[in-house]
This record gives sequence, structure tokens and C-alpha cells, in this order.
Amino acid sequence: MTFYFGDILPYLPVLLHALWISVYVTLIGFAAGSVAGVLISLARSSGVRALSASAGVYIEIFRNTPLLVQLYLIYFGLGQVGINFNPFWSAVVGLTLNNAAYTAEIFRAGFESVPAGLREAASALGMTPVQNFRYVVLKPAVRNVLPSLTNQLIVLFLFSSVGSVIALPELTNELSNINSLTNRTLETFTYGAVLYYLVSVAMAMSSRLAEKTLFRW
Amino acid sequence: MNDGGFAQFLAPLLRGTELTLMLVAVSGVVGTILGLVFGMARICPVPPLRWVAAVYINFLRGQPVLIILLFIYFALPLLFPAATFNRGFTAIVGLSIYAGAYMAEIFRGSIEAIPKGQEEAAEALGMGYFNKFRYVILPQAMKIAVPPAIGFLISLVKASALVSVIGFVELTQAGHIISNINQEPLQTFLVVAVLYFIVSYPISLLGRWYERRLA
Repeated sequence: MTFYFGDILPYLPVLLHALWISVYVTLIGFAAGSVAGVLISLARSSGVRALSASAGVYIEIFRNTPLLVQLYLIYFGLGQVGINFNPFWSAVVGLTLNNAAYTAEIFRAGFESVPAGLREAASALGMTPVQNFRYVVLKPAVRNVLPSLTNQLIVLFLFSSVGSVIALPELTNELSNINSLTNRTLETFTYGAVLYYLVSVAMAMSSRLAEKTLFRW
Repeated sequence: MNDGGFAQFLAPLLRGTELTLMLVAVSGVVGTILGLVFGMARICPVPPLRWVAAVYINFLRGQPVLIILLFIYFALPLLFPAATFNRGFTAIVGLSIYAGAYMAEIFRGSIEAIPKGQEEAAEALGMGYFNKFRYVILPQAMKIAVPPAIGFLISLVKASALVSVIGFVELTQAGHIISNINQEPLQTFLVVAVLYFIVSYPISLLGRWYERRLA
């Protein structure tokens, strides 16, 4: 049996561009979803009954249904009631909503890990609750859950491949295209597997770097 | 095409749910066995075994489930013509090796969480490698492994939706086919989502209950 890995080389720029789209939607979804996740986790532990209950419902719904079904609902389902997102925005919205449910739980654990004494000291110094959160609680909380956040980022990146199903031209979608063009199935998917692997390793490594630089004190 | 109302589509969706449950059950069991084997190999005293396990675990954990499934379905038969799998078998093999990689890390973490003294005590009692794991380490490690394993089981339920892409008619694919017939994707996929929730949420509750009981 002979393999022709060279046959796929001309497509490498196309693959790298598709990989960039995968990374791009992942980063947008992760950033937006993390901001939403912080808000949801604050709502969850706010003590206001209606707020914490709706945050809980949101988290449970998105954590207990598949991303693929969520994307189908956004891409096909919302179209039925006149809300049309293209594949790119469907994927961004889907990844954001999905990621928010996971990061909300991660951030909640993070905020709980910050000793109450820190918060009390800050308010004793006359900090407002917003200042207290922004300058005292946020940084140690994020540092404490950085490994979980990184894990979630990598999982989100891997699951961005689901975007291929709603025709988002990301890496998995482009691999299928190149596979049908060249019929070099094994070679094509090997390139894809290596690219996915390298990026997820790079994400894990940059998180470790961030731990040593951004969060040093 | 709206004559019979939505009720007529409920039976195929329930049948799809059944197949999703079957997929998750089989690949969950096979994945747990693979996970135990590779998780123990990952920290065993024989270096080549450790390397093989590390490659399997690290590489698979860096792959999207979709790529694993597409690779087995389309590429593997070219490598081994005997390994031409039908859709159901591809789904089970793909989900099993995916689960195996994640379960291996869960088992490794749980085994490493057992205090070193337990292992030393077992050795001091003259236990061999097998007995030490069978009677001392694993019974304790299993207890630690249950909550993360339940967490992963929920991931597996959700990942199983991806086998729809290779055309296996489980819950998601049943919903896809139905939404093509009735042209009502919103309703159809909402019902699909509710069915997934009904499968997955009790598992979440079980996990939480177990964790409370341990604490």
C-alpha cells in the first residue's frame, strides 16, 4: 500500500486558513462565553431567588443537551421564525451560549475559592462591591481555575468541528471537501488530526505560560 | 405535510432515543474497560507500555470526536480493508476509543490520588503487582473516579449526537430526517433537545447525589 501525503501539500494553505476559522470562532465563543459565564455565575450566587433559579435553569439546559442539537436549533430552528444567522454567526452564537454554561460553573468554583477574609478586608477599606470584585476577587479566582478554563477552551476548540455540520468552512468541513476532491482519504484526515492535535497542545502550553507570567504575584 | 400533527413523529424519535441510549451504554462500558487498561498502563513500571498509553491518551484527547468518527468510517478501511465497518459499528468503535482516552485520565488521576503509603503497605505485606491493585489500590481509586466518570458519561451522551454525521440514525439523525419531512426544525429539535435532557439530567443528579454522599 502506498500513501501520497505529498498530494495534500498543495492544499495546506487552504487547510491552514480553515484551521484559522476554527480557532477564530473558538476564541470569539470562548471570550464572549466567558464574560457571559461570569455574569451567570454571579447571578447564580446572587441570593436573589429569581436570578439564581434562571441561571441554574440556563446552566442545566445547555450542559445537558448536545452542541450539535443547539446548533441545529440556532441555524435551522430560528430560521423558521424569521431569525436568520449565517453559518458563521450560528456557530459563534452556539459556541458562546454553550461555553457560558460551562464557564459559569467554573467561575463559581473560582469565586468560592477566594477566602472570605480578602473580600471583607476590601470592603473594610471602603471598596464598593464592584471595585471589590474587579480588583480583589477576580484575579485570584481566575488563577485558581485556570487549568479548568484551559481544559474548557480545548474542549470548545475540538467541538468547534461540529460547525462543519452547518456548513461553516472550518477545518473539518474543509477536510471533507479536500477528501472528496482528491480521494486521498487517509492522508487528508491524517493532516487534519495532526493540525487539531498541534493546536490543542499549543493551547495547553500557552495556558501554562500565562500561569507563570500573567498571574504571578 | 402537517396532517397527522407532531404526534406521528414521536415514535421514531423515541426509537432514536433508544438507539442513543444503546450507543452510550455499549461505548461507555467498552470505554471504561479501555480506560482502565490504558490508565494503568500509563503509570505501570514497564516504559514501552507507558509510552504507548501516553500516545493513545494524549493524541485522542487532542482530537474532535467528529474527526475520530470520520477517520474510522472513511480512512480506516483503506488501511485495513478488513476493517470496513457499518455505521453502527463505526459509531460504537469511535465513541469507545474516545471514551477510553478520557476514562484513562480519570483512572490515572484517581490511582495517583491514593496515598503512597497504601501501596507501600501492600508491598510490605508481600502482595504482588496484581494483588496490590486488585485488593488495595483499585477499590479505593474507583470511589474517587465515580464523580468525574459520571461527568464524562454526560459528555458521552452529548458526543453520541455526532454519529448522526456518518448517517447512523440515532436521536439527532432521527430529528434531522423528521425536520426534512415536516419542515419544522424548531419544534422537532426542541423535542430532540428535551429527549436528550431527559436522558442526561438524571445522570447529572445521580452524580451530584453521589458527591454529596461522599462528602
